[in-house]
Amino acid sequence: MLRASCPNCGAPIAFRSADLPVKVCDYCHSSVLRTGGNLAAMGKVADLPDDVSPLQLGVRGRVGARGFELIGRVRWRYADGAWNEWLAWFDDGSTGWLGESMGRYMLLRQVDPAHVQSMVVDRMRAGMDVPTGTQAMIENVEYWASDVKQVSCVASEGELPFNALGLSASSVDLMSADEHCASIQKAAGEDVEIYAGQYVSLADIAATGLRAFEGWPMPSYPA
Amino acid sequence: MSDDTLAPGVTPVPAPPPSTVKPVNCPNCGGTVDIRVAGTTVSVICGHCGSTLDATSPELQVIARADKALRTPEIPLGTRGVLRGKTWEVVGYQERTDEEVRWAEYLLFNPYEGYAFLVDDGRRFNLGLLLDKLPTSPWGLGLQADGLSFSRFGDPYPVRTTFVVGEFYWRVAVGETVKETDYVTPGTMLACEDAQGERTWTRLDMLDWGEAETAFGAPGRRREYSHPAPHERSPFKSQLFEAWVIGLIAAVTLFIVSGMAGSQQRIAGTTTDAILDGPEKTLVIKDVVLPPGRSRVEIDADASGLDNSWVDLDYSLTDQKTQDSIDSYGTAEFYSGSDSDGPWSEGDQRPSVSLSSIPGGTYDLIVTLSAHKWNGAGSSAPATDASLMGGHGFADGGWGGTGAGGVTVPVTVTVDRGGIFGGNIVLGLIVILIWPIIVLFRHLGFEKRRKAVLSSGDDDD
Repeated sequence: MLRASCPNCGAPIAFRSADLPVKVCDYCHSSVLRTGGNLAAMGKVADLPDDVSPLQLGVRGRVGARGFELIGRVRWRYADGAWNEWLAWFDDGSTGWLGESMGRYMLLRQVDPAHVQSMVVDRMRAGMDVPTGTQAMIENVEYWASDVKQVSCVASEGELPFNALGLSASSVDLMSADEHCASIQKAAGEDVEIYAGQYVSLADIAATGLRAFEGWPMPSYPA
Repeated sequence: MSDDTLAPGVTPVPAPPPSTVKPVNCPNCGGTVDIRVAGTTVSVICGHCGSTLDATSPELQVIARADKALRTPEIPLGTRGVLRGKTWEVVGYQERTDEEVRWAEYLLFNPYEGYAFLVDDGRRFNLGLLLDKLPTSPWGLGLQADGLSFSRFGDPYPVRTTFVVGEFYWRVAVGETVKETDYVTPGTMLACEDAQGERTWTRLDMLDWGEAETAFGAPGRRREYSHPAPHERSPFKSQLFEAWVIGLIAAVTLFIVSGMAGSQQRIAGTTTDAILDGPEKTLVIKDVVLPPGRSRVEIDADASGLDNSWVDLDYSLTDQKTQDSIDSYGTAEFYSGSDSDGPWSEGDQRPSVSLSSIPGGTYDLIVTLSAHKWNGAGSSAPATDASLMGGHGFADGGWGGTGAGGVTVPVTVTVDRGGIFGGNIVLGLIVILIWPIIVLFRHLGFEKRRKAVLSSGDDDD
C-alpha cells in the first residue's frame, strides 16, 4: 500500500497495488495517475450522478470461497442509457468487474485475447461494424453478439486500473446459451479488451455493506 | 451522493438513508415528476402532461411534447407491494395490444432486485422476470428454461404500445411495435420479444387470484374462466383429480358396503310336500321381521325333486299391521327327455324372486303352491307332442301315472333379506361418477377455450 497526498488538493490518498495506477481523489475528484513513485493529477472527474444503486465502494461479495471488495467504479454512457462497472478486488490480489446495468449484475474477468476466436475481435480491430448475432468462442464457451454500441466514460471513483477520464470506446455485449455473458471493448488506439463471466444476483455473491434506502428492506444474504 | 462521511478523524454521523424517489419538474408543464430509479431510468413520461422526457440528459430534455389528459393506472405509480416475499414499487405503466386484445404492463423496481413486470390482462396478473440465460431447444421441439419445458403457442404476432406513463430503463414510445412469440407450460409463459435486432426473453408466472390485487391494493377480480390465458392452469384439473379420487373412494365404499349388506341373512324357511296335479296348497311363513328402513327380500324355492313337472308358486308378503301385501310368483320346473340330438333337460328347480325396497315391519309370507306333471315326457320332442293339448289321455306317460293324488315333491321355501340389486349398484356408481364426469367436461371445455385462439385466430374479446 502506497500512501501519498493528492497532487491537486493535498488530501491523503493510497494505492494498494501497482496494477491499479489510478485513484480518483475522494475530496477534489482529481484523477491521480501513479507512475512508479510519481503522482500526477490528470484532471477532474465529473461528479457521479446520485443513482439508485445498492452498490458502493466497500461492498463485499464472494464467488464460491473467494471474497472480493468493490474499490472503484467507472460509469459508462451510451445513446440509450448508462451503466456502472465496479472494480472488484479479490482477496488473492486479482481483479474483476461487477457490471451493473438495468438492475442486473454481471461478474466479469478479463480474458487474454489469445483465448478468443471470433470475427467480433477481428472486425473491431479492423474498425468495422459488428452485426448482432456474430458468433464468438471465448474460453471454449459459445457467445453471440447481442448489443453493439458506442460508449463513453462519464464519471469514475476509487481505484482503477486505467485512467477513465474522457475514455470512449466501441462496445459489444455477448450472450451465451447458459448464464455466461461477455463484453468486448476497443478504445481508439488501443487493442481490444475482452471480459467474460456470468450474470449474478446480489444473493449469488452474498453482498454485504450495501447502501440502505429509505423505506426499503435491506436484504440479508446467507454468507 | 457525497463522500464526505469518509473524512478522516471525523466520526461520521449516521445520516438517514437516502430516498430512492427524487422529485424533479417537468420541463414541459412544470409539474412535479418523481424519478424513482435515477441513474438507470432512460425515459420518463410526465404524469401530468404526458410528455416524454430524456432522463439520460441532466436537463430532462423533452423528446415528445404532449398536453392531453392521461389515464391513471389501476395501480398508481409509486405503489409498493410485497409479492412472493419481495417488495416491489410500480415505476412505469404501459398499455399494449396485439390488435385483438389489450393488456397492461407495470414496470416494477426494487433497488436490490432490479426490475420485474406485472402484466394484467384484465382478468389475472402475471409476474414477469427477464431470463439471464437463453432458453435451449434440446430436441428441436419446444424450449427448456429454468428447468421447465415450454411448447410454442401460436405464431409470432406484433405487439404495439398504445399508452405509457412513468419511467422505463429503455426508450419507450407510443406506437412502438415489437414481435412477440409465446411459449407455454401450465402456469408459466415464456415471451420472446424481438425489437430492432434485440431479443429479450421474459418468464411470466401467473399469480393466484387476488395475489397482486392484495399486494398492491387493487380491487379484487371475479373468478371466471370464459377466456383463459394460453398458459393458464385449468382450475378444473386439481378438482378433476379430487373428484376422481373421491369418486373412486365412494365407489369402493359402495362395493364394500354392498358386499356387507349383500351378505344375505336367512330369516325364515319351511318345507312342504306339493302333490303333483293335486290341489293347491297354501303355506304361511309367519313373523318375517324386516329392519327399519327398506330392505331387499329374496324368496327362494327349492324343488330339486322335480322331474318333468312344475310347481307354480304364488307369494304374498303381507304386513301384519297394515295388511298391505306385495305379490309375486315363481315357477320351479324340470323337464328332460331325448330326441334325435340326444338327451336333453331344461328348467329351473330353484327359482328365486327378489322384492326390493320393502319397508321395515313384521310380515307373513303366504305361499300358494300348485304342482303339475308334464305329460309330454318320453322319447318324442315336447314341442310337437299333441298330448300337451290333449291333457289326460296319456296317464301312463310318466311315473305320475301311478296315481294323481299320491306323488309328492318336496318344496322348500326360504326368505332372505339384504343383498343389493346389481341395478342399484350401477345406479349408485352413476350417481357417484356424475361429479367427476362433470368436472372432466369442464376441464376439457377450459382446455378447448384456452387453445381457441390457435384454431380460430379470432377472439371475441
